[in-house]
Amino acid sequence: MGTDSKSNEELSRVVAKIQGGVLAVVCGLMGGLGLFIMTIWLLLEGGEQVGSHLQLLSNFFIGYSVTWKGSLLGLFYGALTGGVLGWTIGFIYNRVVGIRGR
Amino acid sequence: MASHPVVVIGAGPAGLTAAYELGKNSSSSLILEAGKQVGGISQTVNYRDFRFDIGGHRFFSKVPMVTELWNEILGDNFLLRPRISRIHYNQHFFDYPLKATNALAGLGVVEALLVCFSYAKTKVFPNAQEDNFEQWVINRFGYRLYQIFFKTYTEKVWGISCTEISADWAAQRIKNLSLKEAVRNALLGQRGGKKGEIVTSLIEQFHYPRLGPGMMWERCEELVAGFGSQTLKGIKVERIRHRHGLVDCVSGRASSGEHVEFEGSDFVSTMPLRELIEAMDPQPPAKVVEAALGLRYRDYLTVVLVVNCEDVFPDNWIYIHSPEVKMGRIQNYKNWSPYMVPDPSRTSLGLEYFLWDKDDEWTWSNDRLIEFGTRECAQLGLINPRDVEDGTVVRMEKAYPVYDHHYQDHVRTIREYLETFSNLQTIGRNGLHRYNNQDHSMVTGVYAARNIMGETHHDVWAVNTEKEYHEEGRATSVNVGDRMVPMRVKEYVDELPMENEEELIEIVFAKLDPVALGVAVGTVSGLLILIGTVILVLKGGPVVGPNLSLLGNFLIGFQVTWGGSLVGFLEGGIGGFAIGYSGASLRNWSMKAYAQFIRWREEANRRRNLLD
Ligand SMILES: Cc1cc2nc3c(=O)[nH]c(=O)nc-3n(C[C@H](O)[C@H](O)[C@H](O)COP(=O)(O)OP(=O)(O)OC[C@H]3O[C@@H](n4cnc5c(N)ncnc54)[C@H](O)[C@@H]3O)c2cc1C
Repeated sequence: MGTDSKSNEELSRVVAKIQGGVLAVVCGLMGGLGLFIMTIWLLLEGGEQVGSHLQLLSNFFIGYSVTWKGSLLGLFYGALTGGVLGWTIGFIYNRVVGIRGR
Repeated sequence: MASHPVVVIGAGPAGLTAAYELGKNSSSSLILEAGKQVGGISQTVNYRDFRFDIGGHRFFSKVPMVTELWNEILGDNFLLRPRISRIHYNQHFFDYPLKATNALAGLGVVEALLVCFSYAKTKVFPNAQEDNFEQWVINRFGYRLYQIFFKTYTEKVWGISCTEISADWAAQRIKNLSLKEAVRNALLGQRGGKKGEIVTSLIEQFHYPRLGPGMMWERCEELVAGFGSQTLKGIKVERIRHRHGLVDCVSGRASSGEHVEFEGSDFVSTMPLRELIEAMDPQPPAKVVEAALGLRYRDYLTVVLVVNCEDVFPDNWIYIHSPEVKMGRIQNYKNWSPYMVPDPSRTSLGLEYFLWDKDDEWTWSNDRLIEFGTRECAQLGLINPRDVEDGTVVRMEKAYPVYDHHYQDHVRTIREYLETFSNLQTIGRNGLHRYNNQDHSMVTGVYAARNIMGETHHDVWAVNTEKEYHEEGRATSVNVGDRMVPMRVKEYVDELPMENEEELIEIVFAKLDPVALGVAVGTVSGLLILIGTVILVLKGGPVVGPNLSLLGNFLIGFQVTWGGSLVGFLEGGIGGFAIGYSGASLRNWSMKAYAQFIRWREEANRRRNLLD
C-alpha cells in the first residue's frame, strides 16, 4: 500500500492521552454512586439477612455496613476507590504511551 | 501596436474571471475573444428569442469563492432550479442519478437478476488492474450495469472505446476520499457556500441564470468594462511572440481580416493547449510540438428544434443510452429557466451530438441535421415530427479535452515548457486540458490574476486534480507532490479554520493505545487482587477470605494466602491486560468502521452522478 492510500485510511495519527483527573472523577462517581445505590437497594428490599455479601466489603472499608449510615460511608469509599483506580489507570496509561512514543 | 498591462486570450469563464479579479484590484486588462460573443463554451445562443446553451450549464460549486463570485456578478438573476434527469434506454426511462430499485424494476426480472449476479461476481473477482474506464466502472457496478448505463453513453460522448479512456477521468470525478475527509463532510457538512450549506443537495437542484449561462458572462464583461478593461471580439490570436523566457506581444486576425498586434507585460491564455503551442513564435522544441499535436479534443454539435407543444417532457435533460440513435443527450431549455423561450406554448429542445470534426455529420448542412435530429427524436417517441416548427444548429469545436492513455505525458511535457515563461499563464478547461466545469476554470482565472498581482504563487495546474485541497473550499500550504498547493485563501477565514477542523477530528478520533491501556488496566486489577488478598490474610481468622477465594475458580492456583496474593497479582494482571487491550482495540476499530461506513456512503453517492 502506498503512502497515499495509507494516509487515506488514517483517520487520526494522534494517540489519545487519558485525562487522569477526568477518569478519576468518572470512576469515582461510578464507584461511589454504585455502592451507595446497591446498599440502599438492599435496604429497601429488606429481608432477614440484609446484604450479607455486600457486607463483606467491610473487610476493606472500615465501618462500612449495609445500613443507611453505611450507604453514606459506601458513597465515600466507593468514590475514593473508584477515583484512585481511575487516576491510576490514566497515569499508567499515559506513562506507557509516553515511553512507547519515544 | 496597442500596449496593455495584461492581455487575456479568450473571454470564456476563465478569461473573464481573471480580468474581473484583476479589475477588482485596480488592474485593467485587454481581453481578446475569437468569437462574436463572450462565454466560450458557457455562452448562451439567442435564436429568434429562443435561448439555449452549449449543452446545459448547471452552476454548482464546492468552492465558496466561486459561489460568491456568481452571486456578486448576477445578483437576483441567479435562479435556483429543480433538477430532473433520466436515462433513456431500450424504450424505458430510468431515474438519474441512478436509484437501485427504479433501475432494477425498469430492467425486468431476468435482466435484474443478471445484473445482481454480475455485480456479485465483480465483488468476488474484481479486476486486478484499474487502468481504464471500463475496468474502473466494472469494479464498482459489475459488467452488466456498466454495459447498460455507462458503455454506450460514454462511448457516444468520447467517441472512443471505454478501454481507451484512462481511469483518471472517473477517479477525478469520484475522488479517493480519505477517511478523515469523509468524516469531516459528514460531521461538519461540505462547505458549499458562505454559510457552509450542504453541497449534496445540489444534486437535486442547481443554480442557473435567468437567461442562461451566457447572461453571467455578458454581465461579467460589463463589470470588467467598468474596471477600465476592454473586451475585443472577433480577434483570433494566432502568434505569441516571445524572447528570453518572456512573451512580449500577441498577434492575430480580426474578423475583418485585418492583422492586429498587442503588447503586454503579462499574458493569460485560455486557448486550447494544442493551439497555444502551435502559436508560440519562435516554435517550441520538437518534442513539445509533438506532445501538443498528440492532444485530442472531442467536438460537439447541438441541433435545436422549436416544437409547437407546451410540455414535451418534464426533465431538464435526458441521457440517450439507446444505441440505435446517435444523439447522446437531449435538453429541454424551458425546464432550465422558463425565460429561455419567448412563448410558453412552445418548447425548444437541444439535441446533443458528440463528434470528431472529421465525422460526416460535422459537415452536414443545418437543414439535413435538423431533419436527422427530428427523425431521431420521433424514433425515441419524444415528439411528433409534425410539431417541429423551426430549428438551428450550433457547432462547438474542442468542447471536450480527451483523456486518453497518453494525454498526461503530453500535458507534462507542455507544462514543463510553458513554465519556463515567467509572464505567460495558461488556464481554463482547454488551457489546462482538463475536464473542468466553469467553477474550476474560474478558480484558475482567480489564481492567475493573483499571481500577476504578486501574491504568493498559486498553482493553476493543481485545480481539479486528485491532489488538490482547495476544491472543498479549503487551501493549505502543504507541498503536495510536485505541485505547490495554494496558500490559504483569505475569504474563508470566517469559516471554522481548516486547521481547527483537522485538529478537532484528530482529537475526537485519536486512537487509544491498546498496549498502554492493557498495561494500565492489568496493573490496577493485579494490584487490586493483591491488596485485597493481603488485607484478608493480615486479618486472619478461622477461615480466611472464603468469598475472595472463590476467585480460584477463574485464576488457576489462587488462594487467600501470601503465595496466592502473588498468583492473583500475576493472573489478575494478565486478565486485566487482555480486557484493556481488547477494549482499546474495539473502540479504535469501531471508530474506523464508522468512518469507513460514512466514506462508503459518500462515495456511493458520488458514483451515482458519474455521467454528469
Ligand atoms: C456539453 C457541455 C456541458 C457542460 N456543462 C457544464 C455544466 O453543467 N456546468 C459547468 O459548470 N460547466 C459545464 N461545462 C463546462 C464549461 O462549459 C467549461 O468549463 C467552461 O466554459 C470553460 O471555460 P474556459 O474559459 O476555461 O474555456 P472556454 O469556455 O472554452 O472559453 C475559452 C474562450 O477562449 C476563446 N479562444 C480560444 N482560442 C482563442 C484564440 N486563439 N484567440 C482568441 N480567443 C480564443 C474561445 O472562443 C472561448 O470563448 C460543460 C461543457 C460542455 C462541453
